[in-house]
Amino acid sequence: MNSLTAEAFKERSPLYAKHQDASLVALADTVAVARYSKAAENMQLARCALVDLSNLPRVCFRGTDTADFLHSKGYDLPETPNRANAQDDGSMVARLSQTEYLVLGSLRDAGTRVADLEAQWQLSEQANYLLPRQDSHAWLLLTGEHCAAVMAKLCGVDLRNGNFTQGAVAQTSAARINVIVINNHATALPSFHILCDRASASYFWDAVLDAMLEFGGKPAGIAVLLD
Amino acid sequence: MKIMNCPLNGPRNISEFTYGGELKAMPDSATCSDIEWADYVFNSDNAAGVVTEWWMHTPSSYWFLAERHTVTDQIIRTFDPKEVFNQRIDFHTNSTALKGVTA
Repeated sequence: MNSLTAEAFKERSPLYAKHQDASLVALADTVAVARYSKAAENMQLARCALVDLSNLPRVCFRGTDTADFLHSKGYDLPETPNRANAQDDGSMVARLSQTEYLVLGSLRDAGTRVADLEAQWQLSEQANYLLPRQDSHAWLLLTGEHCAAVMAKLCGVDLRNGNFTQGAVAQTSAARINVIVINNHATALPSFHILCDRASASYFWDAVLDAMLEFGGKPAGIAVLLD
Repeated sequence: MKIMNCPLNGPRNISEFTYGGELKAMPDSATCSDIEWADYVFNSDNAAGVVTEWWMHTPSSYWFLAERHTVTDQIIRTFDPKEVFNQRIDFHTNSTALKGVTA
């Protein structure tokens, strides 16, 4: 029996209704799924798993001065569009165009650094404009050795490791909705960050789980990622 | 599936793109006639042959230009709009710029 419930928090994942049987864990001012099954999920994540990270902070900035702004905040930025750099604290910066950067929070600090970055931004003479992404996008993590094969069923872009290397970003269509896919194979666990329209998250979650079935894929929680 | 080469994202299925109309020179809205402005807003040349068009890669909301043959539907070249729009244009902000608007 869960002592935590998503309904007790103001911020809820668009997928919270699908996590009714999962055990939850506190994540800053909200909650995330700790684990779906009673057993440890290490093997499941290594094989094929889908994790809901929608309650982890993320934000976009765009403008000709955005690179200077993010440099001043200590972020290491990719040199070309459609590349992402992992940061030392576990967060990630993806460059979506010449002047647009998406910053993904880290589980290690429950995304507080990125949440603070958004909260402290102010409109100024600097050409650096805030694009809130917390309520526009859902954020999923597809993990395991089969993640490229799963995406091949949903997406027209070749996301196999030879073509889609560590740190590569693909802005494309998957399961007929627009997504941003970021290769996060830097850690021992191969994984893709996937951001999609928040209002379509429930549909997309089911579509990806359906594609994962043949690989033994299941939903999982963040407990293993926190270890 | 047809493939189009997005200058930002690379080759993608044509279903990821949205058509944005012909590239046309915009008349000066402060000095042109109503007929010239209406022609710019509503009419298309619809030429048979190679035309330059606006297209958008929808997942990244990136607008670019494409040279396409309207008879064969062959896409000859796609390129960033900065090749054409390489200097800043400041639009009139005074009320005279609002053609046809009367108090």
